[in-house]
Amino acid sequence: MNNDFSRPQRQSLVGVVVMFGNTLQKMVRALWPILIVWIFKFQELNKLSLLIGAGVFFILIAIFAYFKYLNFTFYLDEENQEFIVKDGIINKSRLAIPLDKIQQVNINQSLVQRLIGVHALEVDTAGSGKQEVSIRAIPHELALALKSRLHTGGRRTVAADESRIQEETGKKQAFIEISLLSLLKTGITSNYARTFALLLAFVITTSQHIDEFLEFSGYNFSVDEYITAEMVLKFLTFIIVGVMVLILVINLARTIIKFFGYRITKQDGSLLLSYGLINTKSTILKPEKVQIVRVTRNFFQKKLNIRDLHIRQASNMEASAKDQKKTAIEIPGCDEREKNILLQFIFGRIPERGVMLKPNFRKMIFPTFFWLIIPLSIYFWSAYMYEPELYNVILLVPVYALFVMAVIYFGFRNSRLFVSDDFIIKQGGAWDIDNDILEPHKIHTVSLTQYFWQKGSDVGIVSLHTAGGTITFGLANYSRLKQLANYWLYQVETTGKHWM
Amino acid sequence: MEDFTNEIIDTASLPRFEDVELTPLQPSYINVIRLNIGITFGVIAIVCGAGFYFIEELQPYWPYVAITYTAILLLTIIIATVRFRNSGFAFRKHDVIYRNGAIALTTTIIPYNRVQHVAIEEGWLSRKLGLAEVDIFTAGGQKSDIQIPGIDKDQAERIKQLLMGKILKEEADEQ
Repeated sequence: MNNDFSRPQRQSLVGVVVMFGNTLQKMVRALWPILIVWIFKFQELNKLSLLIGAGVFFILIAIFAYFKYLNFTFYLDEENQEFIVKDGIINKSRLAIPLDKIQQVNINQSLVQRLIGVHALEVDTAGSGKQEVSIRAIPHELALALKSRLHTGGRRTVAADESRIQEETGKKQAFIEISLLSLLKTGITSNYARTFALLLAFVITTSQHIDEFLEFSGYNFSVDEYITAEMVLKFLTFIIVGVMVLILVINLARTIIKFFGYRITKQDGSLLLSYGLINTKSTILKPEKVQIVRVTRNFFQKKLNIRDLHIRQASNMEASAKDQKKTAIEIPGCDEREKNILLQFIFGRIPERGVMLKPNFRKMIFPTFFWLIIPLSIYFWSAYMYEPELYNVILLVPVYALFVMAVIYFGFRNSRLFVSDDFIIKQGGAWDIDNDILEPHKIHTVSLTQYFWQKGSDVGIVSLHTAGGTITFGLANYSRLKQLANYWLYQVETTGKHWM
Repeated sequence: MEDFTNEIIDTASLPRFEDVELTPLQPSYINVIRLNIGITFGVIAIVCGAGFYFIEELQPYWPYVAITYTAILLLTIIIATVRFRNSGFAFRKHDVIYRNGAIALTTTIIPYNRVQHVAIEEGWLSRKLGLAEVDIFTAGGQKSDIQIPGIDKDQAERIKQLLMGKILKEEADEQ
């Protein structure tokens, strides 16, 4: 094994296979309209020339992949403290990343990479939202060695090798392991709403296609004659049960594929997380970079003693809120003990819930107006004025109204802010109850908002902006919020702790 | 650790940001706002006028369009004026306060030890009037930044110097 990174080196030779796969995928994506035409005209085309064409196509891609492999080199420039990657066949590029700009080094493995026994190494830098460098095929040991070198600033010291050894031994004894049972529990209890929305979108798009197909193929039958009330009821029950089962199965499969074999190991004051059934991901969690920790749990999960942790680290300044969500580290299915160990590790102690703040009942007015009164007025108005047929679905109105009212009421009842000297905990959510945990010295900006009609009732909203997202609480007593804002500002301004 | 003390903090006696006297924006900045509104609504008026002139079918609708146009114009002017009057800023010893908004009044406060960088921006009309905008950025994302328009140009430069000095001092303190 060559651990001398100061000289340019190539990826593993088997990496050509990965390159080949990637290039093939890109070509197919670019050329799919032509491919489809070919498939449809398969009968008319000369089979032999098609076969030769395909053969030439594959050989060209293979050659291209090989040249790509030849021209891709990487090394550490010890003098300038830079990691350098050279790439390109005709247009050559040389990318130099200063080692102190490296935020994170991840080692991942996709299915193809797993089959041929190599790993991908991705280097995240400060400055842009996307991964800047990815080495697609290197052996695992080399990846680990390179990773620790990149993390330790690339200095050729014994410490680098030591940390590598530590990492390897650390692999054997996991700090926390999420069992398959926990994943099963998480799978059947989470993400109902999202999966339902996906299913709905899927059903709507496919039903449109079916309609078109029926029309196109000239079917013309009257449905009304065959349908009885009993059939409708049976059909509805069947659909509802079917959808519920489908949601459970999809969630279960998704959770297990994504998080199978979740293990967390300690390493030099940070945590190393690795997980995944088909694509293995590994990432590093540094406690000092953590901005907000979100603990999520719904009613079922409470009964089963599991919760999800979302850990948001400081991201790039330009990154949008969406990107920040993406970069959040998710740890599913933790029990009480595991949660406490993780929080203890990140914050140095278990966050305590301090003084409780409740929102004002006026918090429910706007959502009621927006989700209940306006949609129902539109419905009744258009049914009355234009489309009496809309009355056919009037049974859905109380169902919708009850659902919305329940969401608004529970959203209000669960909304709380807990303030202690060292922690701010915001609780919220109707079904999935989130607890966002934040340390005051991570705050960058405090902003308070009040609409002019809220002045009389002395209510308002407070937002705490951090490098890992924003926490918003309100409507609540504005005088109290202002008092708290003054306290948080005092804390930030007198603290010696850095936010990262 | 020997000089470490840990007295109880009386939260009621902490300095209150809401009692701070805010400096209003430069009065001439209202002209910049008015000109911007004028240009936007002028363009819309020309487009509508051309539409009525060239497309005959539209002509019967002109009273509705005219009423809507006037209503939106008036509303925009009122909101912009209220917004201008509400805007104000203050630089305390440890943080900067900026208040703005018409329908919703938002007060944003950034402690100096969380400021990432400061920029000064000038539009062409603002430059003619000797005005500038001070942009204060943090690492907390777009919404957490403060942009104070309508500041006298020399003062904007002084503010920038003040903030840069504070940032450097904070950095030195932390090391």
